[in-house]
Amino acid sequence: MLTVTLKVNGETRTAVVPPETTLLRMLRDQLNLTGSKLGCDVGDCGACTVIVDGKVVNSCLMLAGQAEGRDVQTIEGLATMDRVHPIQRAFEDCASLQCGFCGPGVIMSAKALLDEIPNPTIPQIRDALGGNLCRCTGYVKMIEAILIAATAMRGESAQASR
Amino acid sequence: MKKRGRGMACMWYPIGFTVAANPSSAVVKLDEDGTATLLTGTVETGQGSLTILAQIVAQELGISTDDVNVVSADTDATPMDTGAIASRTTYVTGNAARLAAEKVKLMLFDVVAPLLNVKPNQLEAKDHRIVVKGFPQRNMHIGDAANHARTVTGEPPIGSASFNPATVALDPETGQGKPFGTYVYATQIAEVEVDDETGDVEVLRIVASHDCGTPINPMLVEGQVEGGISMGVGFALQEEILFNANGVQINPNLTNYIMPTSLDMPEVEVDIVDNYDPSGPFGAKGVGEPTLVPTAACILNAIYNAVGVRITSLPATAEKVFNAIQAKRNAEPKQITA
Amino acid sequence: MDKDKNPKVAEKVSPVETVLKEPGILHEPVAAPLVTYPIEVVIPKARQQTPAVGQRATRLDGRLHGLGQTGYIDDMTFPGMLYAKIRRAGVASARIKSIDTSEAEAMPGVMAVLTGKDVPNNSFGPSIKDQPVLAYERVFHAGDGIVAVAAVTEQIAAEACQKVKIEFEVLTPVLDPLESLKLETPGVHAPSANIYQKKFIKKGDVEKGFAMSDHIIEGHFTTQMVEHVPMEPHATIAMWDANGRLTVYSTLGRITLGRADLASTLGIPISRVRIVATIVGGNFGGKNEITTEPVLALLSKKTGRPVKSVFTRPDEFIASTTRHPLIMDYKTGVTKDGRIQARKLRLVLDGGAYCSWSETTLSKACILSAGPYNIENLYAEAYVVYTNKTMTGAMRGFGAPQVCFAYESHMDDIATLLNMDPLDIRLINAFHEGSISPTGQKLQSVVVKESLLRAAERFGWNPKGSTAGAGKILPKEITSGTTVRA
Repeated sequence: MLTVTLKVNGETRTAVVPPETTLLRMLRDQLNLTGSKLGCDVGDCGACTVIVDGKVVNSCLMLAGQAEGRDVQTIEGLATMDRVHPIQRAFEDCASLQCGFCGPGVIMSAKALLDEIPNPTIPQIRDALGGNLCRCTGYVKMIEAILIAATAMRGESAQASR
Repeated sequence: MKKRGRGMACMWYPIGFTVAANPSSAVVKLDEDGTATLLTGTVETGQGSLTILAQIVAQELGISTDDVNVVSADTDATPMDTGAIASRTTYVTGNAARLAAEKVKLMLFDVVAPLLNVKPNQLEAKDHRIVVKGFPQRNMHIGDAANHARTVTGEPPIGSASFNPATVALDPETGQGKPFGTYVYATQIAEVEVDDETGDVEVLRIVASHDCGTPINPMLVEGQVEGGISMGVGFALQEEILFNANGVQINPNLTNYIMPTSLDMPEVEVDIVDNYDPSGPFGAKGVGEPTLVPTAACILNAIYNAVGVRITSLPATAEKVFNAIQAKRNAEPKQITA
Repeated sequence: MDKDKNPKVAEKVSPVETVLKEPGILHEPVAAPLVTYPIEVVIPKARQQTPAVGQRATRLDGRLHGLGQTGYIDDMTFPGMLYAKIRRAGVASARIKSIDTSEAEAMPGVMAVLTGKDVPNNSFGPSIKDQPVLAYERVFHAGDGIVAVAAVTEQIAAEACQKVKIEFEVLTPVLDPLESLKLETPGVHAPSANIYQKKFIKKGDVEKGFAMSDHIIEGHFTTQMVEHVPMEPHATIAMWDANGRLTVYSTLGRITLGRADLASTLGIPISRVRIVATIVGGNFGGKNEITTEPVLALLSKKTGRPVKSVFTRPDEFIASTTRHPLIMDYKTGVTKDGRIQARKLRLVLDGGAYCSWSETTLSKACILSAGPYNIENLYAEAYVVYTNKTMTGAMRGFGAPQVCFAYESHMDDIATLLNMDPLDIRLINAFHEGSISPTGQKLQSVVVKESLLRAAERFGWNPKGSTAGAGKILPKEITSGTTVRA
């Protein structure tokens, strides 16, 4: 058994897992963070997307042991007790999610994009979502929502830096 | 060289099951604060049906969407429903929900009429109130009406109803009959760009004009059209389950079964055709499946328009398009300049 | 946003480095991490408006979806829950000679094993009951489930499945639907014929119609097998209570039917079965009939514990229904001004290993096959045949996307032949209010032409703006003594 200690959504967590456990399974089964989804388990669909040390990762392709000591952010870490994240708000307002299963993965990819490129173009957005499969929506309202969220987030950081 | 082309396709599609009975039932109960609960056996599979049903019930009772709590998909607690299939939920379950809500409304009219000194058929439900038609100053908040019904009249406002589209069985030899209650119609037009050196087809833009009767929620109709188009693009150009000579699938995974990503989607413009079907709830019909029906056809017609090759088997992969272009070139008489 | 880029500011618990230096802390039980979200609810305006119909109201599940809080079945656990995996045939057609589960049963952590003989009524199906819960004597497609194993972890269940020994007598599979159509081909489900359903539509007199036509044109079209690919795989949890009542959480889209099927395959009264469907992560037609539900119910009964099973992504492809491939032949007679006089067509549907929703698909495809056009003389015949490929069933459109591809490609071929604009030829022939459908139904609230004109306007479709290059290959045309060639 392997003991893994890592930071998840800002909190330090520890779990004891068989060594072949993926980061995805550790998040879902050990840490009860079921927001990241299992869609294919081999890195094709992106439903398991999380952010590790600032980079977008298919958590089904990362072993839990590889996440030792790292900073992992999942969908559960975006909202606070005061507000949902602007991306989550925009997705809700635009009806960007239908069945919702790909949602957490898409939102994490969007967040990683907006953290790096606060003012993305549509081709850049399409590129950022290229690893997230969605069967319900056709991605159209997701792209709309990300543009709206980007504007909202630029407004927020402009306020914060005053 | 990249060549552009455009192609169109129109279609018709039925709502509900072919001839066979496919009923849905619903229960609506109204509470003393004027909010309601809808019990439905349908299953939300992503298309937004629970929101639509809430809007239908809300419309009938004159309250808002947020006032309706939808409880679904539990055989112990919700009444039977034939299921989320055949684009039937808005039409069939929607009709059942509306009829159930109407029963509640008529119960309240019976209770309120004597309190407002009018006959029940002089009342209507709007803006959270039971109102006298033509004399809105005389009204009662719907919650108060419900409370009165429960605590004074002794009849809690609850209604249940079911609906099944009227059909006529098809003759086994001639197929004549009335298999469906209603149909929807649509046209999609695609603009594509074909690279005649690789056969690669890029769908640039699709304009979709869809009839769904009254759109209960236009935002959700758009979502369905956009999603259907993405499935249509995959059907036209990418997706295929391949078998080996022994009948075993070769590509049962998402690595080798290609389906559209955000990079494959064209620009989509959705237009909803003005229409009203009197047999549907507030004129609504449905839209779930029709959205992908014409997509492959309009894309393939656009490929023909762009490079003059008629691909007759789906998917129109780059290899197929390239081979067809080559075959066409080889069939053309060669020109020899003098 | 600053919080995310500068983690030290947000930390309330010791940094990772401190924890690593103090091994004692590592032995604390894992507490569930804090998940935050605002409880106060901002109700979007559109949801508060009356009247409600026509509002762009946001979905109630939209907020939960975005927060990752929607509870799908795989997110649910119950105390003592076991995991089940199914061993699938891997051969398209075979007789099962023997099944040896002894090694699997002996594995530590394996709690129960199930084969077809343990199922009280081992067949079901929405119309023809030809589908087994677990294949016992015969395999009809490579995805047929044969043995189910319930174990304390998914991994042990999967390994145990591999340890099951199955002896097959491999038979020659029938894979080509046109071969299957021939009477001399051995029946996939012998003694039943391979053609398991046919549909005919006959209106007017097609030969007379062809005789009245200036041109006759043919087309041959085929479509492929595709999968629904819902992002959420099929998932089910089954458990019993002490009153002998079964509760099943399932991704089924039709719970009333599912309950009836469960009651019949298990041989118990319907009132003892409860099915709860949570919000499903995509259906598209593939989750409309039972799959593992009876298996899990029986495993749960054997072990006395809740049992969960989630399809792997490969399972989704091989063990759930797919879209019918179609082979379509069209022949249409038109006058030189573009009016369709007669249409004759044949559809052959590849019905896969089991009937599933093939009857409905066949009917719909046949009824819709002539397109939304006024055609007085029509003959349509449609057949669905068994093959030893993955079972084909309900998929968004039930045959409509396939026939639309055929009739609309064919329509453009006709337009090319007559040197007409694709929009014009459709406007000439399309249904209008009160048109009679191929089955003799008077249509109401018809808006085909409106949708054509609106789409064309928005797209910017200028009639003479065709950009097809010179020297197009004209579609195949047939000669007959009475037709006039272009």
